[in-house]
Amino acid sequence: MTTAETYLKPEVAQRIARLDLRAQFIVKGFLQGLHASPFHGFSVEFSEHRKYTQGDDPEDIDWLVFAKTDKYYVKKFEAETNITGYLVMDLSRSMDYTYRQELTKFDYSICLAAALCYLMVLQQDPVGLITFDEKLRDCLPPRSKRTQLGNVLSHLSRLKPTGQTGIARSLTQIAAMLRHRSLLMVFSDLLADPDEVISSLRRLRHGGHDVILFHVLDEAEVHFPFDGMVELEEPESEETLRVDAANFREDYLAELEEFRERFRRECFRIGIDYVPLDTSMQFDKALTEYLMSRRARG
Amino acid sequence: MDFVNPLLLAGVALAAVPIILHLVMKQKPRHLEFPALRFVKKRREANQRRLRWRQILLLAARVAAICLLAIALARPSLKMAGGIAGREAPVAAVMVFDTGPRMQYRRDNRTRLEEAQQQALWLLSQVPEGSQVAVIDGTTGTAVFQVDLGSAKQRVERLDTHPTARPAAELMEEALRLLSESDKERKELYVFTDLARAAWPEDDRKPWAERMESLGDAGFYLIDVGVQEPQNFALGEIRLSSDTIARHSTARITTSISLEGSAGERGVELYVTGADGKPQKRSQETAQLADGDSHEVEFPLSGLEQGTHQGFVRIVGEDGLAIDDTRFFTIEALPAWDVLIAATPPVELHALYLAEALAPESFRRNGTARFNCTTIPSDQLAEQDLDRFAAVCLVDPPALSADAWQKLAIYAAEGGGVAIFLGRNAAASASFNEGPAQDLLPGKLTKIVDHATHFLPDEQFVHPLWSKFRDLSGIPWGQFPVNRHWDMPPLVPDASVLARYADGGAALVERPVGRGRVLVMTTPISDPPSNDAWNQLPSGIDAWPFVMLANESTLYLVGSHAARLNYVSGQTVVIPVGRPGLSSAVLTTPQGDEFRQNIDPEREALVITATETPGQYQVRAGSADDALSTGFSVNLPSTLTSLQRLDEAEMKTTFGESGYQLVRDREEIDRQLSAGRVGRELYGWLIALAAVVLAAEYWLANRFYRPSNIEASAAR
Repeated sequence: MTTAETYLKPEVAQRIARLDLRAQFIVKGFLQGLHASPFHGFSVEFSEHRKYTQGDDPEDIDWLVFAKTDKYYVKKFEAETNITGYLVMDLSRSMDYTYRQELTKFDYSICLAAALCYLMVLQQDPVGLITFDEKLRDCLPPRSKRTQLGNVLSHLSRLKPTGQTGIARSLTQIAAMLRHRSLLMVFSDLLADPDEVISSLRRLRHGGHDVILFHVLDEAEVHFPFDGMVELEEPESEETLRVDAANFREDYLAELEEFRERFRRECFRIGIDYVPLDTSMQFDKALTEYLMSRRARG
Repeated sequence: MDFVNPLLLAGVALAAVPIILHLVMKQKPRHLEFPALRFVKKRREANQRRLRWRQILLLAARVAAICLLAIALARPSLKMAGGIAGREAPVAAVMVFDTGPRMQYRRDNRTRLEEAQQQALWLLSQVPEGSQVAVIDGTTGTAVFQVDLGSAKQRVERLDTHPTARPAAELMEEALRLLSESDKERKELYVFTDLARAAWPEDDRKPWAERMESLGDAGFYLIDVGVQEPQNFALGEIRLSSDTIARHSTARITTSISLEGSAGERGVELYVTGADGKPQKRSQETAQLADGDSHEVEFPLSGLEQGTHQGFVRIVGEDGLAIDDTRFFTIEALPAWDVLIAATPPVELHALYLAEALAPESFRRNGTARFNCTTIPSDQLAEQDLDRFAAVCLVDPPALSADAWQKLAIYAAEGGGVAIFLGRNAAASASFNEGPAQDLLPGKLTKIVDHATHFLPDEQFVHPLWSKFRDLSGIPWGQFPVNRHWDMPPLVPDASVLARYADGGAALVERPVGRGRVLVMTTPISDPPSNDAWNQLPSGIDAWPFVMLANESTLYLVGSHAARLNYVSGQTVVIPVGRPGLSSAVLTTPQGDEFRQNIDPEREALVITATETPGQYQVRAGSADDALSTGFSVNLPSTLTSLQRLDEAEMKTTFGESGYQLVRDREEIDRQLSAGRVGRELYGWLIALAAVVLAAEYWLANRFYRPSNIEASAAR
């Protein structure tokens, strides 16, 4: 699949459109119901002052306040309409995995990302792309033009997940990199040390970003459908293990559930939307369900 | 434990196959890429441990299933009595056959004995080579093992029922003796019986099985060839009013018909063999019977001319057991016996009671009186020729002359019968208490006992004289008081008291004299009713006990009781010939066979011991002008043909609580025999156990290696 059209299938777009998202999110953006969209710039209302920190644009310094207090304060403004979204894609080797030789986790993530990108562009929200493996790889600046969708998808289609996993480090870098509050839509299989990942997510939240964590796993990783003796090889570390699959299924599923439950719990605690997915789920349906549940939470 | 196919035990080695497969032929794992290996790693240790246990469990189940199948195919068996002999090891086998007449009971067109023979012949075909076999039945003397199996088969084939078979206890003792003497390891006793009570009377009920156990490795097989619910009408013992009657008088033939089985009606017919030798029906009765019922049947038989008459009573129709449907009888019609009655004058008066009791006038007129009485005054006794009289009766004799006493003593010594009724004319004088009178009298007359008492015969009625009284009850002796009687203790040693008075004094005393006998009654039978009468025996109202006593006493004296013509199978028959010149006679059996038999010259009688077969026997001897033509009948004891079976409690007392195998058909015999010789086959149990283990293995395998939902759905 190399073109944006391939990922963004017409029937999917149509299905999402049918949700009448525009009507729901027209005022503050379709994701405003989820997160406030901090937009710094023209024609926005003053929101608050905060201390100047290195990296802030000196133009934002409120000199009147400086005159009164002899301290640098920066003016903050609340966006009237839009937020900046970032599609954060995991490019580690494990994302290239598929059991049934259909959609890899990466492909599945692209499909989801395309849908979300389409939605945001449709609402004229700027959306950018960040990819990472061990560290940040590419960064496509956020744009709200209609061409941005094509740019994002064509960029993604050129990528091949081959690297080692470094989710925590990459997210920490992203947190440091983004100076404005953004909506981060992270697509990853999270196959890394969960403590570090959760810690990095905390850092993102601490930076004021809204995060939606799409935990994408392969169908086989969720159901463990193997039978008989299997030798399993971890593609990144090339480590192998022999197990009697049928006998191991219960244990595996319990362990996976424990893992997901931990993320679900931690994400809830720090205010992140955790969306566990697998490639057997119809991604449009999965996304729709997620959005509906968000809307219901309002 | 023994094995029928021990070579198949090698199949146990196949149990190594799953072990080898487990160890060597481990499944080559499929190589799969799987990014989420971290989830696998965390639980791998615990899972591997559990998996190992599961594998061991499954492996054990598979090994066990293979071992069980291999052992089952080798057909192991558990010895019941701890024996060591195998199926083919020679045994010492004793076959005991019940050959009583009941074994003729026919069901499905086969008698019980034929059934037993068939089972036995089949059993003999199962006996291992080199075995010792003995066949014992009721006719066997000292039992021995047959020379070979062929002779044992012949012996079985020739078995027949026998009315006088030896008691079962003797046969069993003989069988145990034989088995104990055998040196074979395995000993087997087969008893073929219909388990009727008659075959195992109480005396024969010993815990045979327990005694068998003392022989070591022994098997006791009780082969029941009986019928659970028989249907049989049977005639009981036949009873005649007397084996000898006066010609033209009436004899009474009594028997009973009984039923075992479902209710029904049967006719009973009386046949008498006519002059042409063919049976002629003389009477018939019908009886309606329910199960267990018994009905008495009595036939009067009259108009018999002088001579021996034979006949039979039979049940009309057929049933399972024919042998008890017919009962035979022989009766002899004789001319009236001459009896001399000597009394004091007036003779007609004093002899009246006795003469009328023995030969009532009505009987005399129609010629059916059994006695022909001659009355004389006592003082003429010495001149009288006594030889023509069958008996002499002295009614209240006075003191007789020594010649008269002497003559009577000689008469008695030569076989005559003398009855003396002592009364008021007697005296404790020399005439009675000394000289030849004491050769006849059983003691000296001492005194007259003068107080009221009455007759009190021996309640057991053991003496033949009382045989007719046995069937009666409540004889009203008390209604006929005896006011006075003679006392004559002590009695001579050979005298015996047949009846006493209620006060203990001897009333009727018998004394054998030579070949004859003397009966003395210590009170007279000639007193007419008066205050002075010594007793009211003959003169009381309805004095039938006196009439009966007078008749029975006289019949006893004339030897009627000794003339016996009806016997039970196996009894020795003695027929007095009374013709000194005869040396032999021809005996015709019921089957029509004729045998010449020698006459015992001392006893002047024909002694016949071969009387097993029931039926009518005829005896002929002598020339045409002085021919002896008589006969006798033989019947089975009715107890021998009773088909009532032993109940559970009786089985225990007869054979023991356990230790014997009760079998009925060939299949049961084979099973029990196999269990006995080889042991109890465990094949079925092992196969069942193997099935359970395989089912468990299947269940475990399914539980442990359940296919995933995804794969299942993918397969669909």
